[in-house]
Parts: sequence; C-alpha cells; structure tokens
Amino acid sequence: MFGLTLEFLNKVIDMNKSTTMAADTPVRSRKKEFQLKCHSVWMKTKAFFHGNPPAIIGVSLITIIILGALFAPVLSSHNPEKRVARPHEAPSTEHVLGSTRNGRDVYSQVLHGARKSLTVALFAGIIAMTIAIAVGVTSGYLGGKVDEWMNFITNVFLVFPQLPLLIVLAAFLGQVGSMVITVLLGVTSWPWGARVIRSQTMAIRNKEFIISAEAMGESKIRIILVEILPNLISIVFGGFLGTVIYAMGAEAGLGILGLGDATEVSWGSMLYWAQVSSSLYTGAWWEMLVPAAALALTGGALALINMSIDQVSNPKLKTGPHMKLWHKLNRETMKRRGLL
Amino acid sequence: MSFLLRRLGFYFTAFLIAISFNFLLPRMMPGDPIDALFAAAQGKMDPAQMDAVREMYGFMDGSIFEQYIAYIQSVFTLDLGPSVLMFPIDVTTVVGMSLPWTMFLALGSLIVSLILGVTIGTYASYRREGFFGQFVPPLLAFISNFPYIVTALLLFYFFGLQLEILPLAYTYDPSIDPGFTMEFIGSVAKHAVLPMGSMILVGIATWVFNMRNAMINVLGEDYVTMAEAKGLSSFRVMYRYAGRNAILPVATAIAMAIGFSFAGSIMTEVVFNYQGLGNILLKGIMARDYPLIQAILLILVSAVLTANFVADLLYVWLDPRISK
Repeated sequence: MFGLTLEFLNKVIDMNKSTTMAADTPVRSRKKEFQLKCHSVWMKTKAFFHGNPPAIIGVSLITIIILGALFAPVLSSHNPEKRVARPHEAPSTEHVLGSTRNGRDVYSQVLHGARKSLTVALFAGIIAMTIAIAVGVTSGYLGGKVDEWMNFITNVFLVFPQLPLLIVLAAFLGQVGSMVITVLLGVTSWPWGARVIRSQTMAIRNKEFIISAEAMGESKIRIILVEILPNLISIVFGGFLGTVIYAMGAEAGLGILGLGDATEVSWGSMLYWAQVSSSLYTGAWWEMLVPAAALALTGGALALINMSIDQVSNPKLKTGPHMKLWHKLNRETMKRRGLL
Repeated sequence: MSFLLRRLGFYFTAFLIAISFNFLLPRMMPGDPIDALFAAAQGKMDPAQMDAVREMYGFMDGSIFEQYIAYIQSVFTLDLGPSVLMFPIDVTTVVGMSLPWTMFLALGSLIVSLILGVTIGTYASYRREGFFGQFVPPLLAFISNFPYIVTALLLFYFFGLQLEILPLAYTYDPSIDPGFTMEFIGSVAKHAVLPMGSMILVGIATWVFNMRNAMINVLGEDYVTMAEAKGLSSFRVMYRYAGRNAILPVATAIAMAIGFSFAGSIMTEVVFNYQGLGNILLKGIMARDYPLIQAILLILVSAVLTANFVADLLYVWLDPRISK
C-alpha cells in the first residue's frame, strides 16, 4: 500500500516537472505547436465533412441564413417597417417575394426577421444550456442529497408540458417583447439537457482521471470545469442545437398566437400578420409561406448538423460511403477465404 | 409494485406543484386579474358586485394560506368558476368538451409515429450501408425539425387549400349527428388526417433516431450474430431478436414525448381550427379569460401526468426487472 502511494507521488512529481519544463521551452517550438494544433483542427474539420452530405448541406444552409441575417441592412431592398407597396402585391422584380397586406416588402422583412428570430433562439439556447450544465454536472458529480433534490426538480420540469406553460405565462404577461420571450424559453427548456448531462457525468464520474484529480487535491470547481466539462462538449452542443430549434419554433408559435410583440419584425410576427390578413385564403401565399419556409430551412439545417455531431461523438452511428466500402472489402475478404 | 407507487407519489407531487404554480401565477402579476377582467365595466359595477365576482374565482379575503387551501379544494372538487368567454358555462364544462379531441390528436399521433418510427429506425439500422439507411434518416431529420406550426401550415396550404382533398376545419362535419355511425367515424377520421399527419411528421424522427442508435449498439452483440448464423430470416433477427432489446432505451423517451405531443396538438389545432383545447386556449387568450386559461393548463398537466403513468406501466411490462 505504502509502495503504491510512493509510486503515485513520484508520478505526480514527474508530472509537475514535465509541466515546468514545458513552460521553459523556447518560443519557436511553441509557434510550431500552435501550427500543429491548427493543422489538426483543420484535419478534424475536413474529416467531419468528408463523405457526409448531410453535414455539408446543413452547414452551407445555416451559413447562408446567418450571412443573410448579418447583412440584412445591405441585402434588403426596402425598409421592412415602412409601407412600400400596395397590399398583397405578387412577387415581381421590384418586390422579389411580394408584399404583405400592410404593404411591407416580404423579402426585406424575412431578412430582418431572421435577426430577431435567430437572436431569440440563440440566447434561449445559451440560457437553457447554462442552467442544464449547472444542474446536470453538479447533480451528477456531487451525488447524494443534492442529486436527489436536483433530479426531482428536473423531473418535475420534464413532465410539465413546456409550450402550454410558456403560452400561459406569456398570456398573463400580455404581449411580451422578444427579450422576455428569450428568458421564458431559456428557463423552461433546460430539463432535458440537464438530464442527459447528469447521466453522462455519472458515467465518467468514477473514471481514473477524475479519481486521480481528486487524489491530487484539485478543487471540486476545477474538476468540474477542467476535467468533466471538456468531455461533455458534444452532448452540450447537441443539446444546444436542439434547444435552438425548439426555441425558434416556439417563438414562431407564440407569434402566430398573437402573444409576441407584433410590432417587432420577426418570423413569428410575420406569421401573425399573415394569419390575421388570412393571406392563404386570399391567394397571397407568399406572405405566409416565405417566413414558414425560412423557419423550416433553419430548423432542418440545424437538425442535419446535430445529426452529424452525433456521429462524431459516437462513430458507430456513421453511415455513408465509407461504411459501404468497409462492407464491400469485408465481403471480398470473406470470399477470398472461402467463407462466403 | 413499489416502483409504481413511487412514480405515483412523484406524479402527485408534480400535480401539487402545478396547482401551486397556477395559484401563484395571477397573484404574482401586477394588479388584480379581476380588475383587469372587468376594466371596461369599471365604475359601472358597484364594489359589492366586484367582491362577489372575486369570491367566485377564489380571490376572497383572508390570508394567502387560507386562499391556497380553498383553491386546492376547488381544484379537487372541479369547481373552478364560470368561464368569462362563454359566461354562464363552467370552466370545467368547457374544458371537458374539448379535452377528448386533444387527447385523441396528441396520443393518436404519438402512438402512430412511435410505431412507424420504431419500424423505420430498426430497418434503417439494419440496412445502414444501403440506400435506405443512408438516405431516409437524414431526410426525416430535416423534415421533422420544421417547427410544428410550419409543418401544419404547409400541409394546410398544399393538401387543404391547393388540392382541396381534405377538410380544413372542425373535428367533424357539423351536419352529421355525433354517434357511433360509420358516417360519423369516417368524418372524424377524415378531419383528423391533416392535423394528425402534421404531428406525425414532426414526431417521427425522434423515434427513428432513438431506435436506430439503440439498434446499432445491440446489433454488435453476439446473440444477434448467433441468430444470423442459425440462418433465421433477417426480419426475425431484426424485430424479434435485436429490436426487442433495443426498444428499452427508446421507451424511456416516451415520457418526454408526451409533453411535446400535447404542445404540438395545441399549435396544430390553431392552424386547422380543430375544436380541441388549443383552439379554446387561443380564444381564451384573446378574450383574456384567465380562469379558462388556467383550467386548460391544469387539465393539460394532469393529462400529461396520467399519460406518463401509463408509459411507466408500459415500461414495467417491457422490462420486468425494474419493478423489483
């Protein structure tokens, strides 16, 4: 027993030595290290997209949408909040995607609406995942009474229907701005993420590297932030994308129910005005279907990215040409050996 | 048995929390909800009348604790006061009329998408390197992640308005008398196709991916190789051998999906003007009918909790180890 402890201590000292040595290494090799790191990141990115059409489609779609949102003031042809056309003008060269009942230019509105909708979804996702990480990791790592209580709260939130809860809250608050919607979405959509993160934390909680970190006397906060969190990145990111998709849909849903701020330009409020003017019945499909298509494409693209990330964190789930190749080679080998 | 009792206790506690939330909600908001309700009639109603209305909705004098006890009593005796929107009718009656339709939509679409999704997911994992396994899951992931409202709108437009093959509103043809006749059932089915179809489209990917991922883990097991080596048909290996074990982790996701399904039903009903809770909820919101809104939230919570308990029963049946 004593021998083991001594050996362990020696190892710790060795580790410390090596870290101090790393600090003394000349600047040049650090630069090289940085280059190597960049190279490996580049290779990883390439590997992520290689033979993975869903990832390519998803990322390019989302890039286009984000660029559209970022450069909305440059790309849009009209002021989205001004009356610039006659009501329900069909798509033409002047108004690429037609005009709304109130004479707004749909193309400019959908670009500007992307900003609001994406911001709401993004920040709701960030809020939700922050709570999910805090609750999930604490509960999974600390265990015991803390875990019991946090798990109970998570489960209660999990079984409550979130969207109706959100609708009722928004209804009581009256027509709420996008800020309030973001916060409401964030604080109601964390439980699923917390649950997944908790179970993953529990799975790695008893691995050797955590135990050795504990033996070295690292503080709990440091263990959580430095040892556990990096191992959860793919789950956290997956959960984040899922929440963003959900939040975007919920914002649109609240919008069409008339619970959002209809004076702001967002995809939700566009749907609301299209619904109010019953544009589908009057044949002005563009007013309704353009924001709907924008929502659909964004949701679909994010889902494709999410699926590809799942495959990176669990390579077993991969499909695609390389799997086909593997099966082909496998069959050929079997044939050569006379097994098939 | 102790497992089910524990779950029952949990659901009861969750229900109590929901009631407390419902109780606190109007009391946390600025101003008096009853004042807001009758803002237009302010000054025309004398204070005695206002007090009577307040008491009808449980906002009586007394400490907050006494009010709370009274509120819980009113919930369990199903006495939530009259609806503002449809005045003399009780809130519980209004909700009771539309709840079956929402249950039908939410649970029906959940069951159909579960069965379809599990079947597709199993096949997709088994034919992972083929066209089906490579093409179908990404496509479903793409389509299924359209927001509920968008899928509903798209189906509404293309199948209802453009092709005019399916009805666009109501739960059944109003000219038909409700009853157990073929005509009535046919009409209900026809009216449910679009709303339910849009919910199935949204719900299906969850099951396809859960099942596929679970299956891929199981397919590596020795007993599956053994079954293949015995020369069993691939259908038998897929569904009777691998599928049986892969379905366990999938069943745990049902709890989450029930809530989502009800939420989706609310959204879909609004688009298709389906006479369920979602439709009433929208009307209630527009009329600022707070008692009705609260009753709907409460009934939705209890429906979801009950459905969750049924899912627990199902899980015990699937995996008897858990009840020990």
